[in-house]
Amino acid sequence: MGTLKKGRLIKNMDRRKAIGGILAFTGVGVASFAGFKFFYGNSKAKRGQLKNYESLISELVAVIIPATDTPGAKEAKVQVYVIDYMESCSSNKEYNNFLNGLTDLQETCLSEYDTNFEACTMAQKIEAIEILDINSGDNDLLTKIDNKIRGRSFFVILKSLTIEGYCSSEIGATELLAYVPVPVNYKAITTLAPNQKAWATR
Amino acid sequence: MKNQTEKNTFDAIVVGSGISGGWAAKELTEGGLKTLVLERGRNVEHVTDYITALKDPWEFKHRTHLTKEELKERPVQSSHCDAGDKHFYVKDSEHPYVQEKPFKWIRGYQVGGRSLTWGRQSYRFSDLDFEANKKDGHGVDWPIRYEDLKEWYDYVEAYVGISGSLEALPHLPDGVFLPAIPMNAIEQHLKESVREQYTDRVIINGRFANLTSYKEGRGQCMNRNLCSRGCPFSGYFSSNSSTLLDAYDSGNLTLRENSIVKEVVYDEATKKAVGVKIIDAITKEEITYYAKLIFLNASAIATASILLNSTSTSFPKGLGNSSLQVGHNLMDHVVNEGTYGTYDGLLDKYYEGRTPGLIYIPRFQNLDTKTENTDFVRGYGIQGKGERENWESKPVKGFGAALKAQLETPGKWKISLGGRGEVLPNYENKISLDPKKKDQWGLPLVKVHFEYGANDLAMMDHMTKASEDILVKAGFKSVGSYRNSPPPGSAVHEMGTARMGDDPKTSVLNKNNQMHDVKNVFITDGSCMTSSGCQNPSLTYMALTARACKFAIQQFNSDQL
Repeated sequence: MGTLKKGRLIKNMDRRKAIGGILAFTGVGVASFAGFKFFYGNSKAKRGQLKNYESLISELVAVIIPATDTPGAKEAKVQVYVIDYMESCSSNKEYNNFLNGLTDLQETCLSEYDTNFEACTMAQKIEAIEILDINSGDNDLLTKIDNKIRGRSFFVILKSLTIEGYCSSEIGATELLAYVPVPVNYKAITTLAPNQKAWATR
Repeated sequence: MKNQTEKNTFDAIVVGSGISGGWAAKELTEGGLKTLVLERGRNVEHVTDYITALKDPWEFKHRTHLTKEELKERPVQSSHCDAGDKHFYVKDSEHPYVQEKPFKWIRGYQVGGRSLTWGRQSYRFSDLDFEANKKDGHGVDWPIRYEDLKEWYDYVEAYVGISGSLEALPHLPDGVFLPAIPMNAIEQHLKESVREQYTDRVIINGRFANLTSYKEGRGQCMNRNLCSRGCPFSGYFSSNSSTLLDAYDSGNLTLRENSIVKEVVYDEATKKAVGVKIIDAITKEEITYYAKLIFLNASAIATASILLNSTSTSFPKGLGNSSLQVGHNLMDHVVNEGTYGTYDGLLDKYYEGRTPGLIYIPRFQNLDTKTENTDFVRGYGIQGKGERENWESKPVKGFGAALKAQLETPGKWKISLGGRGEVLPNYENKISLDPKKKDQWGLPLVKVHFEYGANDLAMMDHMTKASEDILVKAGFKSVGSYRNSPPPGSAVHEMGTARMGDDPKTSVLNKNNQMHDVKNVFITDGSCMTSSGCQNPSLTYMALTARACKFAIQQFNSDQL
């Protein structure tokens, strides 16, 4: 992996663009070294590996949904949900996309920031996530076609699982959102109070 | 041996404990008949066996998702269940069937059957439905009219508890209603828009078997919207929460779970059915139970398969099948995938509580000459739900504190609409038994052969366009529809496989749901339906069951069975 890492170090170029180029490919999950092997990701996934990435995933979900005046995704243990979902529920394609995405991100951080993602400064973490987010472009038509063929990209999966895991966690549902287990009555029309929170469940 | 036979002898046997079997159990036991109810699945005790009912979202390791392993076991059922209610759906891997064409056979093998997970919408049929076959020549004429069933609708509605509004629509008769589930701001807006924009259609409160007020011995709907997990508050009607409990209380009920009915046993000498042979699902032991009166309520496909498997010298093609109609004329409702749109206004309005209800646009085609449609005969209704976007549906951008802020507040209003249309009876749509393939109990696998006809497809297309038109006219944005409609069976309204009719040559059951050929066998599940209407059918099965039970008890007591 050492030579690969060096090969990706690009000088005299806008660094953000360079990282963007690498991570963007990761985004559709085919350009990484591992990705070529799993072209279109249909091969069997070697499951059971994500436990080793728990600290990385914790830091990722903490950037996507940070602690503010309410606790964030890491405090809500969303990393555990992300791993449980990916290990047990994901398709082979998406498992491979996700795993490749994690390893590519670490490689890029090592080459660009000389450290793994967990040890990056907050500014570096935000920069890396911003690039992943921009390049995941989950709304354009090409991405939708890509998603059908190859499964969703690493960051699209991570972001949607973080939102789902957090908003359906006890912390997310009861602190960021409003959760009433037994409403008793249905008031069909109410006037929204200032700053009223959205209901956690439908 | 004599003692054993005596021990295994009852006045009546009911096969199946779902929504119609539960009613047969209640009516027959309360009518004084010692009744054995046979259920092929496990027992589900009311409240105590609703194992997920009080769980919070975070108590599910994979939230609502099924695991890959669970999906593999449920290739068919998985579209209709999630982690919260999967235990009330069969594993397809354990209960295979043959799809000659794609057809979803959604099943719940347990005490209570699918009454635990049903959609709870309850609409009466009218003479528009009962006269339809006669008028346009599809299928055979119903042997009954609305007048025959009206008092029975009243009777079951009063017991079940149906919330709804009085609308005075001739083609969707009013009933005995609890207070209606109210409409929220966007649903009210759509209702008003439809009133202004159209002369042919209205939006009404959906009619639901959810208790909007306290009911003695039951409870009240707590507006949790988790009905399909079973309700610990008895807030909706199921066999488990209602009919079976009353049947127990009568002292006349024996319920045997894990009892797979192999065949109805026919006696050539008396020309009657004498009992039912079962296979114990666990021990695989075969046991015969005897009764003078037999009700089949196993659901349309299963009941027809029992009849087809019950062969004898008199009935080589299956019990009571001299008409050769058993298994044929399979219907479901034609369903489109749905239409959606968002609305920019009413942002100061919200709601409290999670209603289990929907709004309903009753059929508005082919009611009279003014509403005649040239593309198809019969018609469809549209169901809808309005809500504000939350984290599941709200489009969000970016990440970090900005993302959190977007998730925290309700999004735009949105509405989704879905049509449910009448499917014509067609002899070619059928179930049959596979001559070679067997299940783990040695019973032949059911084969389903079903295809929508041109009329059904024309209706599907029309309901999508009409839904879009309704939303666009009401000022909705981003109006669109999913174009892939789900496979037949998805409405879980399969019916018609042992139809009622006056002529024994072309129908299986008479006007009292009694087999033309075998007078002590009654069928009151979906099998009996002569046409499908477009209304959710369970209420009609319940009314027909109660009506047939009254007749059967009279016949039993006057020794005519």
